[in-house]
Amino acid sequence: MATLPAIGSDAPEFVVHSPRGALAPVSTGEPRVLAFVRAWRAEHLGREDLHAIRATLRGLGAELVVLAEDGVWSFRPDDDPDQLADYSDRLAGDVATAALLYGVRGARDAVFVIDADGTIRFAHRELDIGPRLASALEAAAEAVLAPPPPLFTRREWVSSCLVAGFAFTFLRACRGDDKAAVPAPEPAAPAPNELDIVLDINGKRHQLRVEPRVSLLDALRERLDLTGTKKGCDAGQCGACTVLADGKRVLSCLTLAATAQGKQITTIEGVADGDKLHPVQTAFVEHDALQCGFCTPGQITSAIGLIAEDRAHTDDEVREHMSGNLCRCGAYPNIVAAIQAARGGSK
Amino acid sequence: MKLRSVGAPFDRVDAPAKVTGRADYAADVPVAHVAHAVIVGSAIARGRIEAIETATARRAPGVLAVITLHDAPHAQAEPKEHGPGARVLQLLQDDIVHYADQPIAVVVADTLERAQDAALLLETRYRTEAAVASLVEALGAAYTPKTAGPRGKTDTNRGDAASALFAAPIHVAATYTTPVENHNPIEPHATTAVWQGTDRLTVYDSTQGVAGCRARLAEVFGIPRDNVRVVDHFVGGAFGCKGSPWSHVALAALAARVVRRPVKLVITRQQMFSLVGHRPQTIQNVSLGCGNDGKLVAVRHDVINESSRFDEFVEPSATTARHLYACTNVSTSHRVVRIDAPTPTFMRAPGEASGSFALESAMDELAYAAKLDPLELRLRNYADRDDDENKPYSSKSLRECYRAAAEKFGWARRSPVPRSARTAGGELVGVGMATATYPARTMPASARARIRRDGSVIVQASTQDLGTGTYTILSQVAADALGVPFDAVTLQLGDSALPEAPLSAGSMTAATMGSAVQLVCRQLASELAVIGGLAGLARLGRDELVVELHADVSPQSKAYSCHAFGAQFVEVQVDEELGRARVARMVGAFACGKILNHKTAHSQLMGGMVWALGMALEERTVRDLRTARAVTRDLVDYHVPVNADVPPIDVIFVDEVDPHVNAIGAKGLGEIGITGGAAAIANAIYHATGKRVRDLPITVEQLLPATRKS
Amino acid sequence: MRSFTYVRAPELAIAIEAGLRPESAFLGGGTTLVDVMRIGVVAPAQVVDLGGLPLAEIAVLPDGGVRLGALASNADAAAHPAILARFPVIAEALLAGASPQVRNMATTGGNLLQKTRCPYYRDLASPCNKRQPGAGCAAIDGYNRSHALLGGSAQCIATHPSDLCVALAALDATVRLNGPRGERAVAFEDFHTLPGDHPELESVLEPGEVIVAVDLPARPFTVHSRYVKARDRASFAFALASAAVALDLGAGRIREARIALGGVATKPWRARDAERLLAGEAPSSDVFQRAATAALQGAKPRTHNAFKVELAQHVIVRALERAAGVS
Repeated sequence: MATLPAIGSDAPEFVVHSPRGALAPVSTGEPRVLAFVRAWRAEHLGREDLHAIRATLRGLGAELVVLAEDGVWSFRPDDDPDQLADYSDRLAGDVATAALLYGVRGARDAVFVIDADGTIRFAHRELDIGPRLASALEAAAEAVLAPPPPLFTRREWVSSCLVAGFAFTFLRACRGDDKAAVPAPEPAAPAPNELDIVLDINGKRHQLRVEPRVSLLDALRERLDLTGTKKGCDAGQCGACTVLADGKRVLSCLTLAATAQGKQITTIEGVADGDKLHPVQTAFVEHDALQCGFCTPGQITSAIGLIAEDRAHTDDEVREHMSGNLCRCGAYPNIVAAIQAARGGSK
Repeated sequence: MKLRSVGAPFDRVDAPAKVTGRADYAADVPVAHVAHAVIVGSAIARGRIEAIETATARRAPGVLAVITLHDAPHAQAEPKEHGPGARVLQLLQDDIVHYADQPIAVVVADTLERAQDAALLLETRYRTEAAVASLVEALGAAYTPKTAGPRGKTDTNRGDAASALFAAPIHVAATYTTPVENHNPIEPHATTAVWQGTDRLTVYDSTQGVAGCRARLAEVFGIPRDNVRVVDHFVGGAFGCKGSPWSHVALAALAARVVRRPVKLVITRQQMFSLVGHRPQTIQNVSLGCGNDGKLVAVRHDVINESSRFDEFVEPSATTARHLYACTNVSTSHRVVRIDAPTPTFMRAPGEASGSFALESAMDELAYAAKLDPLELRLRNYADRDDDENKPYSSKSLRECYRAAAEKFGWARRSPVPRSARTAGGELVGVGMATATYPARTMPASARARIRRDGSVIVQASTQDLGTGTYTILSQVAADALGVPFDAVTLQLGDSALPEAPLSAGSMTAATMGSAVQLVCRQLASELAVIGGLAGLARLGRDELVVELHADVSPQSKAYSCHAFGAQFVEVQVDEELGRARVARMVGAFACGKILNHKTAHSQLMGGMVWALGMALEERTVRDLRTARAVTRDLVDYHVPVNADVPPIDVIFVDEVDPHVNAIGAKGLGEIGITGGAAAIANAIYHATGKRVRDLPITVEQLLPATRKS
Repeated sequence: MRSFTYVRAPELAIAIEAGLRPESAFLGGGTTLVDVMRIGVVAPAQVVDLGGLPLAEIAVLPDGGVRLGALASNADAAAHPAILARFPVIAEALLAGASPQVRNMATTGGNLLQKTRCPYYRDLASPCNKRQPGAGCAAIDGYNRSHALLGGSAQCIATHPSDLCVALAALDATVRLNGPRGERAVAFEDFHTLPGDHPELESVLEPGEVIVAVDLPARPFTVHSRYVKARDRASFAFALASAAVALDLGAGRIREARIALGGVATKPWRARDAERLLAGEAPSSDVFQRAATAALQGAKPRTHNAFKVELAQHVIVRALERAAGVS
């Protein structure tokens, strides 16, 4: 079996001819991820996969070039899915040449990360990467971007666990050890100022390792990719970060993630029933109770809390009891109308 | 082509994404392994940095870099091209401190918490110089700027206002002040910077102008514009402060370069008071003279505003007075005082909001002096043409606005005597009105339209939706221009990789982009017709037909003075003992050409009126006069209206057809809603209490009974 | 925010013991502590979370008084039937404070320990004796619109920000504490200390000591009690001046009165001189105004807060009128 180009060596150059012109995947001055796959098509990527691949490519600052036996696809993280460049079929010759240069002809799928200087930073091959492209890229980014485990581990270990098996395999691959995958190691015990916590968010349990100073808001936004909850002031003065804790509206910016354990947290992502909007969400849309929309997740969770409290009924009472949610666009009258309509509708 | 979508009150197309939390604002864009940066601000407002001790911070857990003037890579802080919004930045290039909280270091760490913590560990020694915190302290240093901002003339003189004032049988003269205000969108400015190699940069930034931001970043780092991409699909409120790429944007990219990793930098709410501009404090002298018939014989409006030591911003507050009323003797001027504060910037209706407070308050004072109804005074001085530009108005329906709003409000029932009405609970009741106006301008812009075999349409432009409804109205315009249903159209915006559009500012976006999208879609429609429609597309074996073009400003409009107009009527209730003024109701009637979507238009105008309420009664940034640091540096001390402050608001659209203003016949309405509003409230407070308050905001201390001694 | 170790106390004794460690802070609802920690104003090495302790109960006492557990939320306290029926000033004060979200989180005990909103206290670049003893006070000669007229010293004129505490001061409440030296009860008026030469000390709490409850005694004046608050906007703003008043009314006379002030003093401020003036008088605007004048007798206005002398008087009169039912 051919060997992979070594880490740190120059990436072999090749050219793929596409209807959009010649695509030279290496010497562009721009990092690239090359993925050689056999069975794979862009349509097979789910929304979540696409989301994850984009995040990874942004992290690597790279474009992804997928070289499959039946075509070549080029991804930039911020292009729309319908703009994915599809260099169609009849490129088998080009792809075969490239595969030969990269030592992956036929046998196995492989992923390479090539930096802006055209140096290979990561290389690994394994059977059938295509369906797992998202996690394969994540592992590649982990290997390239993450410094060796320091005294203080940084990321929550849930995501590490998710990719640990993969990452470990890839890391071994980087060292030239091409043997079968080894079981993932158990996560190390938390450092003295870290906690392993479990959060119940939108009906799903999330395990996290965090420093105690991490707020629920930052846990949601920066660690769980639940960015619907917004940070407007980080000081309890604007209400943009409102979530429901056991059905009561609270401020996630002033809640330590550690103290949110044992409570059922509902964020804006968990308000709708699948694709069916919550009546308050529907009313906000219909009454145009938003403009820029940044305060909106907090307004909606707050409004759901208000309705559950059943204390504010008249328009004036709703105004008073929604005054913890600033709306700088000035949608207040529409917010009041939406809440009153939603309540009427739900009763 | 028959219009079907334009005008209809469609729900905002981006609302579902916004109500579910799926809308990705700048700080929401996921980037694997992103590092977090925090800006450390200067404790002093003026002086030099003598030393920064960074060793402790560098050793702190997770810290990837501490960047100061000693190790910051070169960056071009002065703009080479002075486009609108291009400001002089502070990019750690020297030891000079120009204002409090100026960036003096950037700390980057693997988590936000660690970066924030390490940022507190820096110790800085300064050589402090005495700082000037307010223009009031340095009025003697006022100078004459070359222009009054992008809108031209610094001073104007028509006729002889001084002599006419002297001779006028009735006149008023007073000084009005407006304070420093901060935009405070709920979304703090956020930038995530990703370098692709060494000379390609992608930035996810909260901005009103991805194209301008791209240009500025290219300049700062000396790389080609095409190597920079700026993405912002949703903007969480802007109001002017996101019109400029401020220092933090470049600092995020600079930090990413240093740590060789993507970097996310979200500025704090406190930094929103120093790093992203503000409405400058103004001092405005207004003198008005009229004859016994109430006809104006003289108008003078002289404005002084603050700017920073290192950059000039002129608040063009006197521009409205140049044309709003018919008068042969008009004199206006703008002066600037440099102080030790950050550079001011555009804030919702820059110039018009502050200027209309002074002018329309003075008109109210003149009405009382002339014993005329304030509305009648305005009608007697109705300007049928713009005497300043010496052009006819492209359209003007102000008379209809006055009539519609006055009728809805019940203005005719007003008793002219101040302090003459009370609520059942004993609160004083007053009513007031004012004129609203804002220019209707457009800019050149490009757009691309694509239609696919299945009839679906994608329209692309780099313009951004600030919450104003751009996605929605452009879908409507495109649908009508192509003769397809509204929901067949998808808009892709907020990405500098798309055809270039200007800054979303100055109430220009609807008209500018509406005209461009209409043009490109009509072109697409005719090209599609040539090949035989969608069937032809299929016959030719093509997936889609694409047209891209650049639309210029309508040359026809240049023969006209283009403005939107409106009338604001307000009722206040004043609890004098508690010094509390509550706005009980607001009625605004506006004529803004073609209304593209009545639902989103209503929201925008209503939002402007809420801003007027905040401006009149609540908003003020205070600086400590000794240190020139902002004292009001959060949303507890800087009040913006809350839900309970805001009364029922009536927004009336006055129909207006304007064939001259631009291709689409629409005048923007992002800003007119705030104009005149603060004056209407101040005028209502005068009517309620007999107190003329000329200094904003009108707070408790100005409303308490004046006579009682404590 | 400085890194800290987190201890969740499963029982009171453990909380007290943990709280004795140096640089410890107790965490209740978090609405104050997390806020001031994030801006670097308070930086404990250890945070002891009291959230697991059974201190959230609101109980009616045998004499008709009410015991508010230290962890009872502001929202729950404001909605409690006994509070609404017999201590309306408590509910009014609570509902006049903060926002619904904050009230769902904030606790009774935490409310007593709210930090001042003095903007200089919250800005690390400004000198502040409360934050850093001996550093100086930026407010005395600075922008002091929100600052105290009463109870200030040459070291500090920061206002106590609580609304609830003003009502508690008016109602002769008792603060129940438990600490290393056992249980004790402190009269509410004695709980907070004046800044004097030590503005960094704000209460009589000793290291490790935990607030466990606040008792509202059954007294004849609690039913006719009202809270009036003047502020810069209609809601979600701190008091410029506020008054909690309670009147024992009978036979057309005021038998006994209670007046406490907020927004104008360095601690929840009991206006005893004013109370004495009212005792035995028939309610009238004139007598209310005299009481209001007396309440502000010792006021020391500064550059930007002089208006609050007059404002506070109006607030007192308004509250008295409402409590007496004459408005």
